[in-house]
Amino acid sequence: MKFINYIQALGMAVSLLMATAAALAAGPSYRLAVDGLACPFCAYGIEKKLSALAGVERLETNIEDGSVIVTMQDGAILDEAAAQQAVKAAGFSLRTFEQVAPGAPEGQ
Amino acid sequence: MHSVLKLAMASLSLAAAAAWSAPITFNTALPVHEGGYVWREQLIFRQSADDPTPARRDMQVTGLVSVLGYGVTADFALFGMLPWFDKRLDMRMGEQDLSRSQSGVGDLTVLGRYTAYQYDAPGRTLRIAPFLGVKAPTGEDDARDGLGRLPPALQSGSGSWDALGGAVLTYQTLDFQIDSQLSYQANREANGFQAGNRWRVDGSLQYRLLPRRLGGGVPAFLYGVLEARLLHATKDRVGGSADPNSGGATLFISPGLQYVTKKWILEAGVQVPVQQRLNGSALETDYLFTSGFRVNF
Repeated sequence: MKFINYIQALGMAVSLLMATAAALAAGPSYRLAVDGLACPFCAYGIEKKLSALAGVERLETNIEDGSVIVTMQDGAILDEAAAQQAVKAAGFSLRTFEQVAPGAPEGQ
Repeated sequence: MHSVLKLAMASLSLAAAAAWSAPITFNTALPVHEGGYVWREQLIFRQSADDPTPARRDMQVTGLVSVLGYGVTADFALFGMLPWFDKRLDMRMGEQDLSRSQSGVGDLTVLGRYTAYQYDAPGRTLRIAPFLGVKAPTGEDDARDGLGRLPPALQSGSGSWDALGGAVLTYQTLDFQIDSQLSYQANREANGFQAGNRWRVDGSLQYRLLPRRLGGGVPAFLYGVLEARLLHATKDRVGGSADPNSGGATLFISPGLQYVTKKWILEAGVQVPVQQRLNGSALETDYLFTSGFRVNF
């Protein structure tokens, strides 16, 4: 029984370590406010276009406030003009573009 | 009789045009993203059995409509629609019961749609898009059985190159969507038969039933759908003369449901004719059932 508890604790520690490492390795995050985004079926195109940009690590779309959080890979940045072009190609309009989290410092 | 063909073709082409849209029975201006595809399959069943004439005609049309849309640019999209039909007509002639049927691929329709006006705001969009298309005679139009050549209503194709055009307006918010379409199809003659030209006016309301409140992320939507369609067709021409038993106007009301996710849509609806003013003994429609899915890729 104690051995099982030890294995579970070890597994949680490893998971936490991996998650922390991933967070530290992530690059900057940007918040894109997208006008015209009003249904789930429409969100597919915008995620497809943004994820095709170089250096994009992950996307989080929130349809209620019409925003997409774009997190870049470590060392990558998102160019506003490229983001605007991707949003337009998906059939929508980019209202605002702002960096919401800096990337990990060099060497981490 | 010929009006049966027109109504069936109208319903199927409307359904096909809805490939890029939220409505079940007609097209709208929702975007197909640049370089992206939308694939739609719809199964349609149409029943016309309420024939007051001694012939007691009973016609059933089952159609499987395949549609592929491609976003050439953010504003311009191309759509191809190819139906498959299984048609059956039972009728009484003298003291005999007759049954005639035909199955096969129908006519290919290709449409181009350009979003001419677009206004986007947080959580809503307004779009107006004219479209223009052509229907090619890819379906069989000279099928025969033991009684001879099948009537045009039973043929899988019309045999003619036809043109269609119109415009569609969409206003979409997070809570509901309204779509409206006006279209016209000009039909040409083939094998001595020319189906009547037709006008069509469509309206659709989709209202989000679930989730009642939006949370984070991209939740799936369940829409309640109510659509209306007014179809007016001129008389067919047979051997250069107008067929008095063809053409007229029909108003359909169509309740339905849609389950919408980011990647796919499931939908079903029933079109019920609430007003039919057809010429002569043209066969009326009892109902039309539509179900299908759409996939983004």
